[in-house]
Amino acid sequence: MPIELTLNGEAITLDIDPRTPLLDVLRDRHGLTGAKAVCREGFCGACTVHIDGQAVPSCLRPIGLLQGCSIVTVEGLAPPGTLNRVQQAFIDHDVVQCGMCFPGMVMTLTDFLDREPTPTRDQIKAALVGNICRCTGYERIIDAVLSLQAEGVA
Amino acid sequence: MNRPTDPRTVVMNLPRRDALDKVTGRTRYTSDLGAGVLHAAILRSTVASARILRMDFSPALAMKGVRAIAQASDAPGLFGIGIADHPLLNGSRIRFKGEPLAAIAADTLEIARAAAAAVIVETEPLPAVMTMADALSPDAPIIHPDWKSYELLREGGIRGGNVAWEARVSRGDTDAAFARPDIIIIEDCFQVGRQNQLPFEPRCAVASYEDGRYHIHTSTQVPWTVRAVTAKALGVSPSRVRVTVPAVGGGFGLKFDCTIEPIAAVLAQKTGRTVSLVHSREEENLTCLCRENAEVRIRSAVTAEGEIAGREATVLMDCGAYGGEQVFLTTMTAHTLGGNYKLGSVRLNSRAVYTNTPPNGAFRACNGVYNTFFLERHTDNIARAIGMHPLELRRRAVLGDGDIGATGQVFLGDVLRPMLDRMAAFRDRTPDQRDRADGRLYGRATTVGTWFIFVGPSSATVNLNADGSATLVTSGVEIGSGTMVQALPQIVAATLGLSPDEVIVKAADTDAAGRDLGVGGGRATVSIGAASKMAAERVRDQILNIAAEMLQAQPEDLILTKGRVEIADRPGTGMAITSAIARAEALHGPVSGNGNFTAPGVAALPGCAAGHFIEAIDIPVFAVHDCEVAVDPDTGHVEVLSYKVVQDVGLALNPRAVHSQIQGGVVQGLGYALHEKISIGPDGALEQPGFEQYLVPLAGDVVPVEIDLYEGAPSIGPLGTKGAGEVPILNVGATVACAVSRAIGRDVSELPLTPPTVLALIQGRTDRMDHPHIAAEWTENLLGAEVPPRSPAKSRPTH
Amino acid sequence: MMAETGYGEITTPQTLADAVAAMAGGAVPIAGATWLLRAPLRHEVLPERLMSLRGLADLQVLTIGPRQALLGAMLTHDALAGALVGHPDLAGLATAAGASANPGIRRTATLGGNIGTRGFAASDLVPALLAADATVILATGQGLQSLPLAQHLAGRGDAGLIVRVEVARSPRRAAHARLPMRKAGDYPCAIVSVSADLSSGRIKDIRIAVGAVEATARRWTSLEERLTGTTLDPALAEAAARQLTGDFSARDAVDAPGWYRLSVLPVLLRRAFTQLEV
Repeated sequence: MPIELTLNGEAITLDIDPRTPLLDVLRDRHGLTGAKAVCREGFCGACTVHIDGQAVPSCLRPIGLLQGCSIVTVEGLAPPGTLNRVQQAFIDHDVVQCGMCFPGMVMTLTDFLDREPTPTRDQIKAALVGNICRCTGYERIIDAVLSLQAEGVA
Repeated sequence: MNRPTDPRTVVMNLPRRDALDKVTGRTRYTSDLGAGVLHAAILRSTVASARILRMDFSPALAMKGVRAIAQASDAPGLFGIGIADHPLLNGSRIRFKGEPLAAIAADTLEIARAAAAAVIVETEPLPAVMTMADALSPDAPIIHPDWKSYELLREGGIRGGNVAWEARVSRGDTDAAFARPDIIIIEDCFQVGRQNQLPFEPRCAVASYEDGRYHIHTSTQVPWTVRAVTAKALGVSPSRVRVTVPAVGGGFGLKFDCTIEPIAAVLAQKTGRTVSLVHSREEENLTCLCRENAEVRIRSAVTAEGEIAGREATVLMDCGAYGGEQVFLTTMTAHTLGGNYKLGSVRLNSRAVYTNTPPNGAFRACNGVYNTFFLERHTDNIARAIGMHPLELRRRAVLGDGDIGATGQVFLGDVLRPMLDRMAAFRDRTPDQRDRADGRLYGRATTVGTWFIFVGPSSATVNLNADGSATLVTSGVEIGSGTMVQALPQIVAATLGLSPDEVIVKAADTDAAGRDLGVGGGRATVSIGAASKMAAERVRDQILNIAAEMLQAQPEDLILTKGRVEIADRPGTGMAITSAIARAEALHGPVSGNGNFTAPGVAALPGCAAGHFIEAIDIPVFAVHDCEVAVDPDTGHVEVLSYKVVQDVGLALNPRAVHSQIQGGVVQGLGYALHEKISIGPDGALEQPGFEQYLVPLAGDVVPVEIDLYEGAPSIGPLGTKGAGEVPILNVGATVACAVSRAIGRDVSELPLTPPTVLALIQGRTDRMDHPHIAAEWTENLLGAEVPPRSPAKSRPTH
Repeated sequence: MMAETGYGEITTPQTLADAVAAMAGGAVPIAGATWLLRAPLRHEVLPERLMSLRGLADLQVLTIGPRQALLGAMLTHDALAGALVGHPDLAGLATAAGASANPGIRRTATLGGNIGTRGFAASDLVPALLAADATVILATGQGLQSLPLAQHLAGRGDAGLIVRVEVARSPRRAAHARLPMRKAGDYPCAIVSVSADLSSGRIKDIRIAVGAVEATARRWTSLEERLTGTTLDPALAEAAARQLTGDFSARDAVDAPGWYRLSVLPVLLRRAFTQLEV
């Protein structure tokens, strides 16, 4: 049975093995390689996308369970040529290193800030339990997120 | 002409030019390039030690969509570091579980994997040794029976049986030192497990075969090593291999070796198609070229005043089934375990030992990390034995200006002692976190560490474009450390009076740039930076000469600034640099300059070192770390309360980026110290295939590292720089271990300090560490010495 | 890329009867699928025929009534944690739902999946539900059946589809203590979940469940008996627990040796008791 869903605002129909993880659909069929296949078991967060507005790992979601869902990837997060505030904060604070975890970080923290606009340092760290970064040692990521409140834009 | 570039024009917190694409998911890593190509899977051994009797590929070849198989006969050459002992694909004798035997390219990854599973492999089991203790036993099976026939890639190695390489240091008369009546002897054994680099992008390569040449697009730190090893394994001329490197999703040393690239190359040549080979996470973890597990026996003869009259140590480094990086790293024991302190006499033996386990590799500061742990814990034990405060002992004993190191090299400048003073002041002005221990056991420690910048050949070309921009062509790779997007454009821009965003930095391409040793070992900013600076200076001199004629001035009176050539002290009187470029092009053609760099070589005392690749270090780097911990006496959990770093950086070109490297490096060190455990099962396989079992620090486990950059120590790096990215991990394991040891009042003799390990120490479940297979008599551990008995070592008075 | 062979199917029944029939025909029910999709990492083949439970409204029920809480099998950990806030008798369950795994997984993994997954020793919800004395409601060919959770864990209910869990409510307090190796994010090596009636000032009707120590979570009945009638004293409870850890045959596994799990069990009990004091 064809699977119909919305991907970055566009209605699409897929006729593929419904057990295929969403991550592979994004990367292999749609060229959306922003979500990274790193651990494939829900621990690292590098493949995080928004499904119906919730940040979840895409490696563990069979496409067949997503009939009618709306999926937003890092490529669809902000209009072309623009950045959302989390992305901008990461650039402003020189947070990035190798960069593989950052699409997932952006997706997780964007969702988190929508629900928790004025988080504490500890709350941000708790929100990142499922997003691993091997390069940066995290603290500057936290600083960048906290700066959004300091600027009053959160 | 020799115009010094003013460091003030170079130093800045330049943001990263690659950040926008990285946070928007647009960066295309090698592992993102799988569309429209063939996919490859590797057939791996399922046992640790066996003779291959027969491999039948026909079931795989019969499968629809299978395009080619690569096997041992396709890559007959052995490669390695120091010794050529490593086949690309093994067709005869399996030496570790997971060893690549063949590889299959197919239309899809599923087909390739199914085909690999369908190959029939018949083997005859051979005895295996999984531990260094077993490998060194007199009756151990020899893992490389043909070891004598291997090509030596470096002279001077001491080898034999399961000892792949032995590097020795002997300076002064330790026998006399240990016989002195005024000394106390302190003896310790320590050990560490392996550590997985765990870069988010696994090892991967996309290869094609074009016009009779191999083109490998790969996630590597060392494009020229990939070129050389591919040529050696395939038995072709290196000139037939081109290596290009896009953004690399983390390396940390794992990608300082060539592993899977030649396999992709073989398959590309056989199919005529582009072939993608990407490790699955399980493959990546189980064949990870880890920081090796290691064991030491160390003893010191120390006076009551803290003078170290003699030191002897034997370090065993597990290289796994093939020598690889560990052969080289035997060298670094002299400069790390033999570092930090003034030694009246010293004997060190560093041995890379074969086992039937996955090969190991390089990892940020390599064996420096555990040798520093060994040394600093030993130093704490010395302080306790002589009744001296550990900080006072370090202040007295650290190397200073004119002191000689283990191999007799003369150290220049007082660095470690003033750094200790800086840390003391740092501690004094920052309130301690003892209150936050909240009933748990509190401990604090300060340690010192010595590492080096791995210099060596680099080259660079700068093309000055007609539009006034410059293009920098090197074999450098952006692995996340920022060198290619921050330090290098900063250096070139400052030299040419441009802004850094006017400097285009070409990604590594061995067809375009000259040879380079690679990005790692803290060398990129220093070696590639020095070559880039020279190239930019040669361009600058051409422009200034042309401009001098045009302005009727002396070249010495001209400066390049803000895209203009100006007469010094008379801003606005010169011209746009594009005018000078146009004139230069009209007269001579486009403007370019080349630069190169290599290790200058520092002298060691003749006869002190044997089997070493580097007898003295060109650029030493020092670090002083301080850490407070709270230990839960009920569960053994260690919480880091504060972490401070005073790091010798020479000159920080981009202080903000250096801070970022220190935070990241310290956190990787906290993982090594506390969480990241790798165990080896009875089958010789690693037991941590994924992120469920291999625990790296999460955001909640870390603290903001407090940082004080120590500038001004001597360095031959451009503008006095030293590499800053590698060394932050160096003494984290040491510092945490010393702090935990003080907190719980027990000797900490191993890492990582997982909660069960710490609780076992607290509860007295752990015996004092001993390595019976490392003889107490130093000479008995040397190859060629009489085989030591396997009975427990002679007991010695210890403290 | 994870499907190794063939071309699977996922059906989406709209009634319990259809779902039960599909199960009888070999379809494997999936809820969050977080465990199932890790099959390749366990070197298992994904089942070809799967059944989505999204169409079944019965599995979405969430009622926290005065006498009973009805918790649908399709509730995610995240939804559960949010719904249970502010009820002292369900506090252990709330902690379990809110602390397990990581935020992304908590938004995906379900109550039913946690109960139904065999081979996962470190579930947080299971010991919390054991301490809550939960009953599992199953859809079977013979209609709805109820089964105490412990019996379900013993494999009795495997033929049925988990519809919901029912927890009887009373004035009691509950707590949940877990011990991962890091602050969070990895599977706990030991879990203690406690629920007791403390209204009289003495411990009454206490239920203590232990997870992650053995392959399957279970109640610690000897300790329950020992502590019944005593006052709430975390230190005394820890001491009592320390004498009774021999009741467990703890797992030696890659994450922790068995002795360690046993050594920290009394500590976790103390921590759970400390939570009860609040």
